[in-house]
Amino acid sequence: MRSYWVCDGEKMDTGKRKEQLKVMYQRVVDPLGYKFSPDEEIVDFLLEQEVQLEKEKGNPFCPCQGLTGERDHDMKLVCPCIPFHREHYDAMKRCWCGLFVHKSVDDPYELQQISLKDLEESKNKKKKERP
Amino acid sequence: MKKVVMYTLSTCPWCMRAKKFFREHDIPFEYIDYDKADRETQQAIREDCLSHGEQMSFPFVKIGDDVVVGYNLNKYAQLLGL
Amino acid sequence: MSSWFYAIGENELIDGGKMPLSLEGNKILLIRQEGVFYAISNKCPHMGCPLSRGILDGHVIKCPCHDWQFDIRDGEFLSAREIKIPVFGTKVSDGRVFVKIYGAVQ
Ligand code: SF4
Ligand code: FES
Repeated sequence: MRSYWVCDGEKMDTGKRKEQLKVMYQRVVDPLGYKFSPDEEIVDFLLEQEVQLEKEKGNPFCPCQGLTGERDHDMKLVCPCIPFHREHYDAMKRCWCGLFVHKSVDDPYELQQISLKDLEESKNKKKKERP
Repeated sequence: MKKVVMYTLSTCPWCMRAKKFFREHDIPFEYIDYDKADRETQQAIREDCLSHGEQMSFPFVKIGDDVVVGYNLNKYAQLLGL
Repeated sequence: MSSWFYAIGENELIDGGKMPLSLEGNKILLIRQEGVFYAISNKCPHMGCPLSRGILDGHVIKCPCHDWQFDIRDGEFLSAREIKIPVFGTKVSDGRVFVKIYGAVQ
């Protein structure tokens, strides 16, 4: 499947596409309370990967999560995937890749990736503490 | 020494940094890039991740019998007794 | 400032149907569902794909590109209510459908 913007056989310049993705993503993540990470190196690296993934697979998929080939699964991993992992990312104050962080975050290196299982466990613990 | 095996993606910066950490500490490890693996291997990796109550979020690092999902140097070090 | 602009004749769109239109420079998708006309922006807030190529199921339209789903009544994205597609008012008078557009110069 190809994304809508790709014209037949036309290869868009990677740098230009990165800029376009940035503009589109900004509009999506802003109302969700996120911004691009202040770590410009990571942002640039991740966007570069996404443009390559888009060229290869037709969509700017997440560079840090695994695709299965099932549409229902994979479409939830098109960047920005924040809407589909809201609770998880809000708990980390960042998305899994760290392309986006909560607007309040100045130092992305204070943040950790929290696994889904750890998140569930800490939720259950809280429930037990406050029945 | 505990055996270290990790599932990674060739596109994921945290996977690269995790590998770098193990190299810098002279800890031998095996890894499989999920995105470069064949279908069968991919299926096995997926099942392994799900069986640990996780999605396919990378890096997925196995240290002995423990699993660390994500780039977490403290946890790696703790499990390896560094 | 907002004003009403003539879009189509009431009979030009069957129930459950959708029609992309350009009104005063706005790319609009007109939808008729259960006898009511809805007008939403035709541009998906994710990456701009035309929702006119998507699938309408009841009051939910699914973008053809990455399956984001929106309520055509209030424009809300079902997976994150903070994200909305612009919706426009509609009215039918004398068999003619009008769409209300803000900021349009008369
Ligand atoms: S985890 Fe971050 S970079 Fe990866 S798809 Fe989701 S929002 Fe994009
Ligand atoms: S452009 Fe509509 S869901 Fe991606």
